[in-house]
Amino acid sequence: MRRLAGTVFRKELRDHLRDRRSVLTALMFPLLGPVVFMVMFNLLASWYRQDRPLELPVVGREHAPSLMAFLERYGAKLVEAPEDYESRIRAGTLDAVLVVPEDYGRQFSSGHTARVQLVVDSSRQSARHSVLRAQRLLEAYAQLLGDQRLYARGIAPELAIPVRVEELDLSTPERTAAGVLNMVPLFLVLAAFAGGMQLASDTMAGERERGSLEPLLLNPAPRGAVVTGKWLATVAMAAGAVLLTLVGYLLVVRRVPLEDLGVKARFDAPAALGMAVAVLPLCLAASAVQLWVSTYARSFKEAQTYLSLLMVVPMLPGMVLALSPVQTKAWMFAVPVLGQELLAGEVMRGEPLGPLPFLIAAASSAAMSVLALRFTTRLLAQERIVFGRG
Amino acid sequence: MIEARNLHKRFGSVTAVEDVSFTAEDGVITGLLGPNGAGKTTTMRMLYTLVRPDRGTALVDGVDVVQRPEDARRALGVLPDARGLYPRLTAREHARYFGELHGLSGAALDRRVDELIELLDMKDIADRRTEGFSQGERVKVALARALVHGPRNVLLDEPTNGLDVMSTRAVRTLLRRLKAEGCCVVFSSHVMQEVAALCDRIVVVAHGRVVADGTPDALRERTGKDSLEEAFVATIGSDMGLMQ
Repeated sequence: MRRLAGTVFRKELRDHLRDRRSVLTALMFPLLGPVVFMVMFNLLASWYRQDRPLELPVVGREHAPSLMAFLERYGAKLVEAPEDYESRIRAGTLDAVLVVPEDYGRQFSSGHTARVQLVVDSSRQSARHSVLRAQRLLEAYAQLLGDQRLYARGIAPELAIPVRVEELDLSTPERTAAGVLNMVPLFLVLAAFAGGMQLASDTMAGERERGSLEPLLLNPAPRGAVVTGKWLATVAMAAGAVLLTLVGYLLVVRRVPLEDLGVKARFDAPAALGMAVAVLPLCLAASAVQLWVSTYARSFKEAQTYLSLLMVVPMLPGMVLALSPVQTKAWMFAVPVLGQELLAGEVMRGEPLGPLPFLIAAASSAAMSVLALRFTTRLLAQERIVFGRG
Repeated sequence: MIEARNLHKRFGSVTAVEDVSFTAEDGVITGLLGPNGAGKTTTMRMLYTLVRPDRGTALVDGVDVVQRPEDARRALGVLPDARGLYPRLTAREHARYFGELHGLSGAALDRRVDELIELLDMKDIADRRTEGFSQGERVKVALARALVHGPRNVLLDEPTNGLDVMSTRAVRTLLRRLKAEGCCVVFSSHVMQEVAALCDRIVVVAHGRVVADGTPDALRERTGKDSLEEAFVATIGSDMGLMQ
């Protein structure tokens, strides 16, 4: 029995690996996750990176030396503005330019409100962050001077500020980054489904459609051995996809400024190993269910449609978890897909787990695959399945 | 030797095989002749264990196909109705795969596969992927994998269907050779000429029953007709597409 299953396994894998197009698709999907990950993180980092000094071109620096000193003290890098700064701002190569008029000093000394201009293009999203920083710095300077003037006249500055609006930005880079990070378990679980999908639909529905199922079943091999061999081949593809996804993340994570975003995530070799241990058992269950569905489908096309729909199943808990993390309870580990997503997430966040949740999740996946394989073997004993239904 | 005993099979409300009994001896080519829809394929499928008879059974070298299907399959070489190939495997890999599933391995398997490639005259296609093979080449591959374990009983469902003259001749030569080796050969066909050219014994099936069973000469004698063709028409009651 074991030898026969091995024969079927080797044939299926060899046959499948010769199908370049489907192998290429199988390779593309696992790499999709890490690529999305890298792009998102680099975008986030470029939006939020605070340690980069604000570069502010100024026209008429010499008119306001104390303001310039203030700005420089708070980290702004001041440069001479180019002649054509207005067109450059419109073109988007400059974010903002500070213009200090000639009469600034006179107005200032005489106690009038001195004006400076911040030249911006408010329709430009990418400039928004620099503009905001420049505005805040300038307002802070104005506030400071105002306070000093009131003090000089013996008045508490609070009197002039009946209400102070403090902005509490909930969309911190940490939170957004954590959201992106929650996609990692989802992509790992998806890989467990995507990796074996092609092989599963080809090895059962495709086998019947080609007319090679009947000859295959004419061998004295038990149905169980045939199903087992085909299942193991599907599992191999799924496991390959999961491992490839993990390697992809490991490679990508070095090029991603996680610390800049203040993200607390472990993505070293032990963490990757933990995630592999968490997600790989799911390949058993996913492949077995795919095989069952593929055996039941009337045609190759129908099998592919069903299996694509099956891919939505891991997306549902994944989406929910990515949007609103839930309080993990022990029973959740026993739910295939949900269990793996939770485990991978906890491992990534560096939570100490102990072996029990891993065992629970693996055992429930194993039980599910035994069940699906039984069903598949039983289906193969039915004449209407073997010979097809019109 | 294959013995069919009162085989009966219904699919829903349709009776595919009413009552079929016959014996196919070793060293004899037995033809199962009947018009389309007479129940030939279903009878064959019951003989090669993929369809379970509602009543009756069959014995392959004394092994009951209902009770011990796996042992029966071991004793059978079958060219079924469906003879699909794996487009990405070579002809040789097809034969090897089925040989391994029959428990062959190593040098014995290599030798047997080489033998079949020689016998079926497929040296030039043996190591090519089967994608794009002609009908004749496909049947050769299907025959090679069906015979790889050297079965003593060979069942072929419409083996020459869709083949050109050369391929048909190759199949006929193979069947005669199997007969000479003392195999029990049963093949089904709806083409009278095919059966007349090859068979030592003819079992005529119509409406799921055996309506005549004997040598071509005995058939002619029984019906009192000179040609086989007319003998068939007389037995079945109409020509029902048997003539080409």
